[in-house]
Amino acid sequence: MKIRFMAQVILAGLLVAGAAQAQTVTVMGSTALGPIVKKAAEDYMKAHPGVQIAVSGGGSMTGLNQVTSGGCHIGISDVFATPDQDKAGVKNHNIVVQPFTLIAHPGVGVKSLSAQQAEQIFTGKIGNWQEVGGQNRKIVRVIRPESSGTRAVQKKTILHDQEFAKDVLIQDSTGAVVTAVATTPGAVSFVELEHLEKNKNRIAGIAYNGVTCSNETVKSGKYPVFSFGHAYTNPAKLGDPKVKQAVEDFLAYILSPAFQQNVIKAGYLPVDYVKSLKTKL
Amino acid sequence: MPEAPEVSIAAASEGGYPVLKEDLSPAGAGVPTFKHSRLQRLADRWAHLGFLICSLLVVGLIGGILYFLATRGLAAFLPLAGNTGRALSFSEVFLSADWAPSSDRFGILPFIAGSLGVTGLALLIAAPAGILTGVFIAKMAPAWMRNLMRQVMDLLVGIPSVVYGIFGLTVVLPLVSRTWLADAPASGFAVSALILAVMIVPTIVSLSTDAFESLPAALDEGAQALGSSRWQAIWRVLIPAARPRLLTATVLGLGRAIGEAMAVQMVIGNNPQWMALMRESTDRAPFLRALFTPAATLTTELVQELPNTAAGSTWNNVLFAMGLLLYLLTMVLILATRRLGRGKEA
Repeated sequence: MKIRFMAQVILAGLLVAGAAQAQTVTVMGSTALGPIVKKAAEDYMKAHPGVQIAVSGGGSMTGLNQVTSGGCHIGISDVFATPDQDKAGVKNHNIVVQPFTLIAHPGVGVKSLSAQQAEQIFTGKIGNWQEVGGQNRKIVRVIRPESSGTRAVQKKTILHDQEFAKDVLIQDSTGAVVTAVATTPGAVSFVELEHLEKNKNRIAGIAYNGVTCSNETVKSGKYPVFSFGHAYTNPAKLGDPKVKQAVEDFLAYILSPAFQQNVIKAGYLPVDYVKSLKTKL
Repeated sequence: MPEAPEVSIAAASEGGYPVLKEDLSPAGAGVPTFKHSRLQRLADRWAHLGFLICSLLVVGLIGGILYFLATRGLAAFLPLAGNTGRALSFSEVFLSADWAPSSDRFGILPFIAGSLGVTGLALLIAAPAGILTGVFIAKMAPAWMRNLMRQVMDLLVGIPSVVYGIFGLTVVLPLVSRTWLADAPASGFAVSALILAVMIVPTIVSLSTDAFESLPAALDEGAQALGSSRWQAIWRVLIPAARPRLLTATVLGLGRAIGEAMAVQMVIGNNPQWMALMRESTDRAPFLRALFTPAATLTTELVQELPNTAAGSTWNNVLFAMGLLLYLLTMVLILATRRLGRGKEA
């Protein structure tokens, strides 16, 4: 009895010591990318018992701030690093593709917008759905706050870097955007494709240049509005070569074909769907 | 109302300590003194130390927050270490209505005006409603109703603000837009002020009920004995007599309103460009137009942008300056409440 107990204690001690020796990789940042990176971490830890990967949230900019200062090993982000952070030496890895779609209140009477129409609606040149073949109803532009990643994507792809109209409604999160569009007649907005699919009964998708956003149209290169989910590292701050190795290995796992298959279920697309497209987003 | 016990009357004259008069006379004058054991004295001393540490912690925390906000906020204007952004001038921040951080323009006037506007409107609705409800509960309602109303008000104070926000977003906004605005969006000052007013009315009601209940019954009876009607007694006698405490109630409501972020954020529309929009508008009734123009306040902008801006950037620093401004505004309000509260005893 006593011997068995002692054996247990020793075993437990060994386990604790083993865990202490394990490489711990910390990941922080985007809450949108969090679930898919967490899934990758779980799978990876199963295959590599010596590595611990801790994923926490905080937001894209928190992830970027932390990885720049060395507060975490990997910063996940929906947006690009700032020029200052680039200067500090952070390195970008595109890990998933995020398709975006235009949405509207179901009663606007428009199913598709040309690129020029979409641009002019959000810059304020077009103010009524009638001007684009819909109902006689004022267009209500619902957008995200200035610091949002979605807004940055929208500004670049839909507005071609022009300023948004001054007459806008701003909502803090994609969920609030969807609610606002669903309850406001004449509303138009821009969200990740998965949010349209989850709310098809409340909001309507709008095709861009005649192409409906879907996994297939993005893959075939017909649908041009998407962005990348980013994982940033700061090689100068990784220090311990073992940690460095684990970080590189984990990122390679996320990008492996075996794992990239999983991202579709989470509302993203594998990076190699759009490799040939050479976009800057 | 039961008579206040004797000791609390002494308390008022002895700086808040419930001490019996005899204890203050010089020792050895025939006053019974208590012998404490060493252990009791030791426990006393440690307890004293514990209380001291707790209160110092609280003071330190408040000071720490102020220091943190001040260093980060003032970094917007001073070239401090660790500051990657440029130093702005006070006038281009506080006197400009042009907010476009991505284009390096940082005028926060729309947020200051937005905060003051929405809070002022909310008070215009909530203060009369709250004070009159207070009169009703304290002076008119039957006992069962008084008890019920008091409990309901206490419950309402405890409802989280986000619940009011969801209610506003999913019920009030669509209702107002359908009923009065021909389906145009209703986001803006009007609905935000309404939601805020509903939020702060319970606070004002509770405090003004207390104010009216604490008035001596002789005031009301005297006024009526001199032939005044019910309304005259309330309007000419009770409300003026309770005025300092009613002001305190209103200022506390104001404090809650100006600091509220979540509920307002969900219904106001969060548009930093609202002042520019108003200037360009050719509307014949600009004030009415402004009530239903999506606008923004200090708190809503902080909630939306702070988590997504890089630490040490000009943008981030200006947001902290806005936080500092809110902190100072609230401080001023609390000091004002103190001053008003003291006025009532004079």
